[in-house]
Amino acid sequence: MAASPIEQFEVYPLLPIQVGNLDLSFTNSSLWMVFAVALSTVILAISARGGALVPSRLQSVSEMMYELVANMVRDNVGSGGRKYFPFIFTLFVFVLFANLLGMIPHSFTVTSHLIVTFALAAVIFIGVTIIGFYRHGFGYLRMFFPHGAPLWTAVILVPVELVSYLSRPVSLSVRLFANMTVGHVLLKVIAGFVVSLGVFGIFPFVFLIALSALELFIAALQAYVFAILTCIYLHDALHMH
Amino acid sequence: MAAGFRVAVELTAALVVGGGIGYVLDQWLGTQPWLLILFFVIGAAAGFLTIYRTGQELDARARERREAQAAEQKAKTDRKGSDR
Repeated sequence: MAASPIEQFEVYPLLPIQVGNLDLSFTNSSLWMVFAVALSTVILAISARGGALVPSRLQSVSEMMYELVANMVRDNVGSGGRKYFPFIFTLFVFVLFANLLGMIPHSFTVTSHLIVTFALAAVIFIGVTIIGFYRHGFGYLRMFFPHGAPLWTAVILVPVELVSYLSRPVSLSVRLFANMTVGHVLLKVIAGFVVSLGVFGIFPFVFLIALSALELFIAALQAYVFAILTCIYLHDALHMH
Repeated sequence: MAAGFRVAVELTAALVVGGGIGYVLDQWLGTQPWLLILFFVIGAAAGFLTIYRTGQELDARARERREAQAAEQKAKTDRKGSDR
């Protein structure tokens, strides 16, 4: 019988740690996060060490990532965005490596858990809100009321804008989580067909190859989307609408 | 596809946040079900507002790309013309 397609998302402790009532166990999820951080750090460190004028393959990969994020920050955050480049770059590289490592068979996809993506989105949301208030003081509250609208419309507009603002971390996290979860479930279900159909399993197998390529693309695309939306939120906080 | 998914998630998120605020306020103030209904409607409005802004933003980006392409095309034909 085919394995359950959602078995891959199970979190289990590798190193149980209990502090008071808190379960701080080192889980397989933590392990793959450490892998993502370690691998990206090693790759970036190795490729930055040479600094050759004609880059090696590894170095040009790092340079492409750097340029991608640098352009993204310049185009989307605008002036004053350079300061936040390190954060956005780290975010992009972490999500990218977590997504890509999840494509290795039998690995664990960190970003397929809503709590992980929501924690990332919550940090971004709180940080952006603090930056907004720091830059504009109480003037940041004008964010919730469009310029030049008649005052009586505030009764309707302020709650609507407020809910719209509060829904940002939810949509940011759900988008990444849903993409990764759906993709991995689909891969496992199709892989189950390959086994159960015997000789005719060749058809789902061909489809599976194409789907794996698509999933690799989505893994990179979603990391990009996550980073670009962070840039857009930062832009709103720095320059308002 | 990415744009469609983005819009779908934004609408759902606004509805969930709006409904969630209404539900929690209802539980707190004991006014079931009025605030849930009110905030669900507000959430729907917020969802459409977000979608509208996303659409504008995607539109602006597409226009930018088109203009860049047109400029490139023009530069190319100009160069060809001067070669002759």
